[in-house]
Amino acid sequence: MRLESTVRSALAEFKWSVSLREAGLVLLVAVAVTTVSWFLRDDGLPLAADPMGYELELAAPLTSTEKALALYDEGEYHFVDTRPVTNGDFQTIPGAFFIREASFDDDLLEYFDFMTTEDHFILFGDGELFPVSNIAARMKDRDYRNLLILKGGLDAWLMAGGEISRRNGGES
Amino acid sequence: MRGLLVLGCRLAVGGIFIYASLDKLAHPQAFAEVIHHYRLTPYPLLHPSAHLLPVLEFVIGSALVLGIWRRGAALLAGVLTVFFMVAITSALIRNLDISCGCFNTDGGHAVGLDLLFRDGILLLLCLPPLLARESGIGLDRFFRK
Repeated sequence: MRLESTVRSALAEFKWSVSLREAGLVLLVAVAVTTVSWFLRDDGLPLAADPMGYELELAAPLTSTEKALALYDEGEYHFVDTRPVTNGDFQTIPGAFFIREASFDDDLLEYFDFMTTEDHFILFGDGELFPVSNIAARMKDRDYRNLLILKGGLDAWLMAGGEISRRNGGES
Repeated sequence: MRGLLVLGCRLAVGGIFIYASLDKLAHPQAFAEVIHHYRLTPYPLLHPSAHLLPVLEFVIGSALVLGIWRRGAALLAGVLTVFFMVAITSALIRNLDISCGCFNTDGGHAVGLDLLFRDGILLLLCLPPLLARESGIGLDRFFRK
């Protein structure tokens, strides 16, 4: 009750104009200091960021197609196709599991007898890293720790001369 | 008593903001990468944000500790904290496995629900300096008319 009345009186006495004016002053000082320090610093960043200079923090390490091809030949790694389901024929890496964002739990359940958390996996998509990384993060949540992401996706695999198989979208 | 509460909250929030700004001020490139990992900031705003945010944190923290423009600094601290909570929630919804970059730019704490809880407490601590009439010990008195 006392707390409630304290809060009520505090809100009644609260002056937005003072707070906003002071916030504006703090913001102004911060902008001024930032501007001056930006010009004075030796390690100041350029005004515009170069998108090529930024790597994403992914849920699993990237691997090159050359390395992935070698691991494919060794047969130690399972390949995981994370691309959304398509109708009709499509290409994929032979023996790949299909684990998609939209049907993640069902897909994992389907492969339950074939995938252990100790196994090694290389995840690939269509070259976009975000969706593959999201699948890797969800697999890590399920204790799959030995994950790699194929840089460049299936297109890079094809360009490097990797084996492919043709599948149909209607297949499970 | 209220003055002591306000002073305690000011020092706590101000100290946290100053501490949070130091590593980011020293490593703007690394902090730009931390911001980039949230995938919320367009490239044209990335570097300006990486320079402005730590300075803003430092200025807010200093204002709260010194007791200058206490209400405005507390308001901005609250707004920034809400902004951080939105960014963390967004990362959690999108299943992003990234470090929060709250206090250091080199790895650090992964985004998780515990961070939202921590920021919730920080937000509550912003309220007394924002709402109270008493400021506690501070330099505000020299700026009053």
